[in-house]
Amino acid sequence: MTVDINFIGLIIASIMASSVPLILASCGELITERSGVLNLGVEGMMIIGAISGFALMTVTGNLFLAVIGAMLAGVLISTIFAFLTQTLITNHVATGLALTIFGIGISAMIGKNFVGIPGKEFPVLFGGLKDSIPFLSPILFGHSVVFYFAFALPFITNYFLKKTKIGLIVRAVGDSPDSASNQGINVRLVRYLCILYGGAMCGLAGAYLSMIYTPQWIENMTGGRGWIALALVVFSTWNPIKILIGAMIFGGLTIIQFHMQAIGVRIPVQFLTALPYIVTIIVLVVISRDSRKIRLSTPSSLGKSFYKDN
Amino acid sequence: MRTNLKISNVTKIYPGCIANKNVSLEFESGKIYALLGENGAGKSTLVKILSGVIMPDEGQIFLNNKALKLNSPIDAKKNNIGMVFQHFNLFETLSVFENLIIDSNETRENLRKKIKSIMEKYNFSIDLDIPVLNLSAGQKQKVEIIRCLIRSPEVLIMDEPTSVLTEQETIELFSSLKKFSEEGILIIYITHKLKEVMSLCDEVAVMRKGELVSISKIIDEKIETLANKMVGQNLKTIKKKKLSKVSSDQLIKITNLNFKSEDPFETNLEEINFTVNRGECLGIAGISGNGQSELFQVLSGEIISDKKSIEFNKNFIGDKNPQERREYLMAFSPEDRLEQAAVPQMKIFENVALNNFKSSNFFKNGLINENKIKQHAKKIISDFNVNTNNIELKSQFLSGGNLQKLIIGRELITSPDLLICFNPTWGLDVGAINYIHETLIKINEQNKSIILISTDTDELLKLSDKISVIYKGKLSKKMNADEVTSEKLGILMGGGEFD
Repeated sequence: MTVDINFIGLIIASIMASSVPLILASCGELITERSGVLNLGVEGMMIIGAISGFALMTVTGNLFLAVIGAMLAGVLISTIFAFLTQTLITNHVATGLALTIFGIGISAMIGKNFVGIPGKEFPVLFGGLKDSIPFLSPILFGHSVVFYFAFALPFITNYFLKKTKIGLIVRAVGDSPDSASNQGINVRLVRYLCILYGGAMCGLAGAYLSMIYTPQWIENMTGGRGWIALALVVFSTWNPIKILIGAMIFGGLTIIQFHMQAIGVRIPVQFLTALPYIVTIIVLVVISRDSRKIRLSTPSSLGKSFYKDN
Repeated sequence: MRTNLKISNVTKIYPGCIANKNVSLEFESGKIYALLGENGAGKSTLVKILSGVIMPDEGQIFLNNKALKLNSPIDAKKNNIGMVFQHFNLFETLSVFENLIIDSNETRENLRKKIKSIMEKYNFSIDLDIPVLNLSAGQKQKVEIIRCLIRSPEVLIMDEPTSVLTEQETIELFSSLKKFSEEGILIIYITHKLKEVMSLCDEVAVMRKGELVSISKIIDEKIETLANKMVGQNLKTIKKKKLSKVSSDQLIKITNLNFKSEDPFETNLEEINFTVNRGECLGIAGISGNGQSELFQVLSGEIISDKKSIEFNKNFIGDKNPQERREYLMAFSPEDRLEQAAVPQMKIFENVALNNFKSSNFFKNGLINENKIKQHAKKIISDFNVNTNNIELKSQFLSGGNLQKLIIGRELITSPDLLICFNPTWGLDVGAINYIHETLIKINEQNKSIILISTDTDELLKLSDKISVIYKGKLSKKMNADEVTSEKLGILMGGGEFD
């Protein structure tokens, strides 16, 4: 049996496409968490992004506007979270959970009128080069701009955290908000911005799902990807490059187990469905075993409220 | 140019307590000033006002006759006031260099050059590219000092800088501070340690209960006069304990005790052997980090050891946990009061019940007998002079001295045969130290025994009957306290020997 080399390329491309929303949401949440804020509302922000993007696309017909609108919707809903946790000093965990429940509910409400409406085709880049190189072409060419952005994002995030002054400030705030405040850094402002950025990325991840990956609106269409994104952040030990690896493994196993179910491999379906979750976590735990490095990249103040006493 | 810093009529009131009341002070560069006071006397508040962390309710600060408005730490920095806090303001997971560049506007290369030249000038050696959490306390402090020096400050304020330093590091710090002072930096040194004031400073201001009680030159003062000003009463100076008649009745015997740790930051204990008789106080001296905390944990049962290695009252208890050891009438007062000895978020009376499960009737059918516990707590508070009458107060709001009295009281009220304490007076003010010392002496007089692990040599010489020195996890021979001098202890603590 000869395996078509282009077919493998196509499978890899589809794996990459399925990991895009995970990478976007995880990298956004990573910045939020690095500043010491635990936002469990990822799933909620993603689904809000998904419905906003799809609704704007249907109503205005302008794809660019829809993508930007989805990101702004993510920012908007994360503002609620930021206001509650940073200004009113509520508990991060409870507020984040509430945000997810709120997001799923309100997206279903708005989405009622958009069920069953077909989406639009999203323009791809380098579409003409699709058949130029065997194997590599389907991986490299013919994807949306969001796709390319997603695969650049972990490296940008890594550079931002390690090499830029603002990245340093974000890490400092996550490490010790008290010290940062005593150094004259506005902790609340930094955390606000990090939360809003996380919201924007989750909004974009949602828009990718409803506008590009499966261009339609289905209720609850994020299907737990927000939780996976959260898990990726933790198990990657707050390292953007490992997020990329984790997202690819998860995406890959999800696709492969679909194919295995389709060809009828005699393994219980439940086990196959659970496989991506288990393997992703195991791999990330194994590659992140160095406890010293974990200590260095874990934001020490994660999930702890900060308030200045006077 | 000479620097002149003036504090004028500063008042700061917190709900229920006046932290600073009408404080006025003036400082001139070229001298080292001490700001002396007990814990809670208002020193830290004043310092926080000077560094812009908090704002005063009334009063003003003048630098070189210019009124300063310090609304935030940035303002203090901009006005060339540098500050090294008692609790370091460092980012543990960032590298030393990242810690320093975060509030600097210079380029990486320039800053690195600047730091290098500062380190050369003052003989600091710190690797700039390792994370701060790998540094010792003394090195961390140097990073803080470098951070101030980068901005060439006119004023440098040090808040209780030696509380975390070893003796050697303290000596180094003092010589650096003297150098800074010679170069024209105005230095304000906040402390409650009298000896340091005498050896380092030129002038001293004493604070008590939020008010300034005296300003004087060091040459006009003695340790005793300063102590009296600080506490506000004539201290009964406890004389060195007379060697009481120690009975020959052996209470605890440690045989071939070993402890091997997997954590590279812990010290292994090797072949520990000693005995303590009834009514005896055995002092264990040593520079911190030589196995004291491991020894304490092994003795208290936090670390379980070989059953036969600890014989207490003719029972082998090496494999017993702390709770079970308490049943055999042992009591423990750990070093870290807020982490190990008490639960900071729990109320006083709840903390009191923590060490006392079985023999008390605090609990009935799994329910808490609150009245009983509260009575018990009140008894401890009055018996042991804890300065509060609110047993509902969370223990984190007690001052160090009061918390220590509460803990010692909690341990002693069950009248144990042996009290093991680890740095019982660490960070306390003179009044509280005296009280704790008197209490410990009283225990011995009641024919009970003490194992006192302490890094404070004066304390050991004052309280112990016998002294051993721990060095790199090994314990020296027991010596009679009256034959030991600080010099001899110093040699042993440094790993030396004499006959």
